[in-house]
Amino acid sequence: MKFFIDELPVLFPYPRVYPEQYAYMCDLKRTLDAGGHCVLEMPSGTGKTVSLLSLIVAYQQFHPEKRKLIYCSRTMSEIEKALAELKALMQYRTEQLGYEEDFRGLGLTSRKNLCLHPSVKREKSGSVVDSRCRSLTAGFVKEKKERGEDVDVCVYHDNLDLLEPHNLIPPGVWTLDGMLKYGEQNKQCPYFTARRMMPYCNVIIYSYHYLLDPKIAERVSKELSKDCIVVFDEAHNIDNVCIESLSIDLNEDSLRRATHGANNLDRKITEMKATDAEKLQNEYAKLVEGLREADEARDENAFMANPALPDDLLKEAVPGNIRRAEHFVAFLKRFIEYLKTRMKVLHVISETPPSFLSHLRELTFIEKKPLRFCAERLTSLVRTLELSNIEDYQPLQEVATFATLVATYETGFLLILEPFESATATVPNPVMHFTCLDAAIAIKPVFERFSSVIVTSGTMSPLDMYPRMLNFSTVVQESFTMTLTRKTFLPMIVDRGSDQNQITSQFEHRNDPQVVRNFGNLLIEFCKLTPDGVVVFFPSYLYMESIISMWQGMNVLDEVWKWKLILVETPDAQETSLALETYRTACNNGRGAVLLCVARGKVSEGIDFDHHYGRTVLCMGVPYQYTESRILKARLEFLRETYRIKETDFLSFDAMRHAAQCLGRVIRGKDDYGIMVLADKRFGKKITQLPKWIQMGLDQKSQKLSVDQAVSQAKAFLREMSVPWSRHEQEGHSSWNLEELEAHQQKKKLEAITGTENPVARRMEGRADAMEIAEEDEFGGHGMDDVMADLDD
Amino acid sequence: MSRMSRAVNGAKGGAPEGGGLLPNIRSLSLSSPSKHPATDPSSEVCPVCKSGTYLNRNMRFLVNPECYHKMCEGCVDRIFSHGPAPCPIAGCNRTLRKAKFRSPTFEDLKMEREVDIRKEVASVFNKKQADFETLRDFNDYLETVEEVTWNLILDMDVEETRERLRKYREAQKAQNSSTTRRALDHSQASDKRKGATQRKALDVSSGNTPEPFATNREDTGFSFRGLIKRKTPEPPKSFDPFDGWSIQPQYHILQDKYDVGWMTAAGKDANHSAGGYSMPAFYSQVLCDAFSGFGVFVEDEIKARETQASMDAGVGTRNAAMAAQGTKDVNMDDVF
Repeated sequence: MKFFIDELPVLFPYPRVYPEQYAYMCDLKRTLDAGGHCVLEMPSGTGKTVSLLSLIVAYQQFHPEKRKLIYCSRTMSEIEKALAELKALMQYRTEQLGYEEDFRGLGLTSRKNLCLHPSVKREKSGSVVDSRCRSLTAGFVKEKKERGEDVDVCVYHDNLDLLEPHNLIPPGVWTLDGMLKYGEQNKQCPYFTARRMMPYCNVIIYSYHYLLDPKIAERVSKELSKDCIVVFDEAHNIDNVCIESLSIDLNEDSLRRATHGANNLDRKITEMKATDAEKLQNEYAKLVEGLREADEARDENAFMANPALPDDLLKEAVPGNIRRAEHFVAFLKRFIEYLKTRMKVLHVISETPPSFLSHLRELTFIEKKPLRFCAERLTSLVRTLELSNIEDYQPLQEVATFATLVATYETGFLLILEPFESATATVPNPVMHFTCLDAAIAIKPVFERFSSVIVTSGTMSPLDMYPRMLNFSTVVQESFTMTLTRKTFLPMIVDRGSDQNQITSQFEHRNDPQVVRNFGNLLIEFCKLTPDGVVVFFPSYLYMESIISMWQGMNVLDEVWKWKLILVETPDAQETSLALETYRTACNNGRGAVLLCVARGKVSEGIDFDHHYGRTVLCMGVPYQYTESRILKARLEFLRETYRIKETDFLSFDAMRHAAQCLGRVIRGKDDYGIMVLADKRFGKKITQLPKWIQMGLDQKSQKLSVDQAVSQAKAFLREMSVPWSRHEQEGHSSWNLEELEAHQQKKKLEAITGTENPVARRMEGRADAMEIAEEDEFGGHGMDDVMADLDD
Repeated sequence: MSRMSRAVNGAKGGAPEGGGLLPNIRSLSLSSPSKHPATDPSSEVCPVCKSGTYLNRNMRFLVNPECYHKMCEGCVDRIFSHGPAPCPIAGCNRTLRKAKFRSPTFEDLKMEREVDIRKEVASVFNKKQADFETLRDFNDYLETVEEVTWNLILDMDVEETRERLRKYREAQKAQNSSTTRRALDHSQASDKRKGATQRKALDVSSGNTPEPFATNREDTGFSFRGLIKRKTPEPPKSFDPFDGWSIQPQYHILQDKYDVGWMTAAGKDANHSAGGYSMPAFYSQVLCDAFSGFGVFVEDEIKARETQASMDAGVGTRNAAMAAQGTKDVNMDDVF
């Protein structure tokens, strides 16, 4: 259908549109017009991706500047889904408009998924594929070939050079499969096609890491222009992605391998001095002039990247004492030796980068400045030496990255050295965590560079947490609910068992026999009443194991076994995928199964349990993080001091977003239905931190239930759901056709003229109730109230 | 100075077998040291007495920076208690003293030696980027220093390098002392007692003659381009507790007397003056109350306060360090 939002014509590839989709698109347009960032929450299964794409593509085609869209998602399957949606959308647009628009949409993923080279693509590990690919495609390999030396090259890659550089692939939307097929037909490398075509694309779809991880972003996303529209989908975990991309762990083994790498480099330098001293001399001369000049050949073949460096540093020349290759290698060795001595300490150390640097200087006379250049210098050296077996130098690269980061950032980072794996261990196994505490550091370049960044997910409550943690300001911040004709999901909070004993995963009580028995009874009852699949989430693997072994003793498992097949998630990815497959088979054949998994595991994040694959989800206990971790403690303290986020606020926010993710697994669309049970008495006080759409379904009578009450409610709900129901019932209310949409727009317009925007209309559009805007008092907001409240306690 | 002479002596004595020193060090078994008995129990054997960490878990190994041969504490006590003695390792004939023995910082003894050399070089070459006119000159300086250090580490032209180092050090010393002396001379402190020396120095500085060591520059061992000429520091001014800030009122002028009916009367009232009230003090306070708000802009302060939050990252990181170590108590009890 085709409709207008203000002056913008939108082509929507379906005949009907949900009210919340319409509202979502309105907000998106508002953001794009205003030119700022926004945070949007919309429940999963309401067609978030298609509304996003259809609005932004319409916006691109309508406005002459054709701002590019960068759509970032989390997993491969999500990227593929988005590409398929985009393809369908463009096909629809072509049909409706009657002509084909000049449009390119490409997806980018790792070499491993896009390789066509007959022997390289057979490698299992991604890093091996990367390194083998580089050894076939690097610039110097080609030079050697031209000089007539006998070297292996990749025919797929070299064919690209024969094509026009801006027209490697015809216009259109290319899914990853499509790219592979086209590549096979035309004997050209899909990976490099995608990489090189990026500046000419209208839509790019790839993983977060290509934009957030400074090591990759520098290479891949450098050329994207300022006015790009950046979308982070499924962004509820974005702060952790940011933090991980800047954190480095070193242990004794990696240091040993780094030394090995440094020795190798040393040998290579000596060799090169004997055979080709001129090359080293050239590099040296370039470095004398300044780093950037040495890097004019920086292209996609460069594989070792530097972490986020300020631009002024990159323009500066490399310090004199690491200018010569052999000096630099000795410098690295010295640094590694220093790290080794640090590893010998037998007590926990945590220190800030400045204190680390001053100790380093005292002991080894390594100054801060050359340290900052480590990563860049190593890149340049490796390129000069024309090394191809890069994976040998991976640990060395890690050390260099560490050096650069530690010398670049004084705040927001912390070094934690843990000599023992656990508190009771006696054999030292030291690990040095260089951990980033501030998620804003990695994402800051993105917010600074691009004028519109859209952060969206199914579960982002409380919405204001993200702008605070990531340190950006929004123009639009909105939470949408699902408009429903009938209530298709039943959230419940169960806080006690049938014996009136509490249900909780609190540390002190979690192993009490009554608590475990109540959890067991809950499981048994829901296995009895639920048709098809049941998914159960535990806070941690440890707790899952202990509770399962206790259930074994209490005959709980035997009871469950009568009704459902039991499957368990393990940390091993292969076992888990096997368990999932079996689970699906069991659900398909009608008997149903129960899957026991962990709230922070693989299953909770990317896997959908739509329709009969998941009719009930049980969340056993609040999925808190492991709070004894020093890294977490440090991060909490940092958040409190810097962003004024209280420890408890963050912990419960984090727990609730994982709980919400788990609950969201079972509802994947409007015709899906499911029961969501939150089994912990502590959930009762945290309702406000659930996404608005779950909160809406969670009324008074479904809180503070005992197991038997919950069971009777669930039975009633399932009976209601079994009443035959057709899609026509939702027409006009939770799904609009064109006339209904236009009627709504007409009404809105009238309201805008009379100036009465009422909450009923908001709800019609599926917007969550307006957030009360905190009154700014003269001390800048309600910060004071929190302090006063603290004093009252 | 004493260390320098020792170093020079060492270089002279060590020069003939200097070539042999490095292979010697390389031939030492440089496996992991004594601090991790649990990880590698068998490899730690004292090369002198052949006792190992296997029998004596608390064994410590020491090295002497003369030759960097590792031996256990017991052997050091036994051999060197009665004064200097030759190193017991075969082929190394250096005379060692007990006082110089210490436990090595690094696992790799080559690194230990390198760091010692760097320490020595760093004490001579201690220029900062601010001492140079351009970054390029500073980088060239750094490279020269690195090359000198390498010469010492790899035992190339040790004698010559040390000699140049010594000369440079002395030149630096001369320069430093002359600048400090001139700085002193400018100050008023040494006016009469050192009349003669002062006069001489004044002659030098007032005539703006070339610096005393500039005549024999080729003797300084090293010369660097682009050094900024040292300026003599300004003589310190007399101490001002307010640092130039005046407490005089900026926005009003205080008069001796204000002719307001009731105040005049009150000023004349014996009851008030007997109680210790003084009218000038009252005037100044009243005017201060009325005008001291001038020049204060609320907007600026709000801005300052807003920027404060982002500047707290330093505090946050420091506290995070304490929290991770467990010295600071993070409130992580049950959050409900």
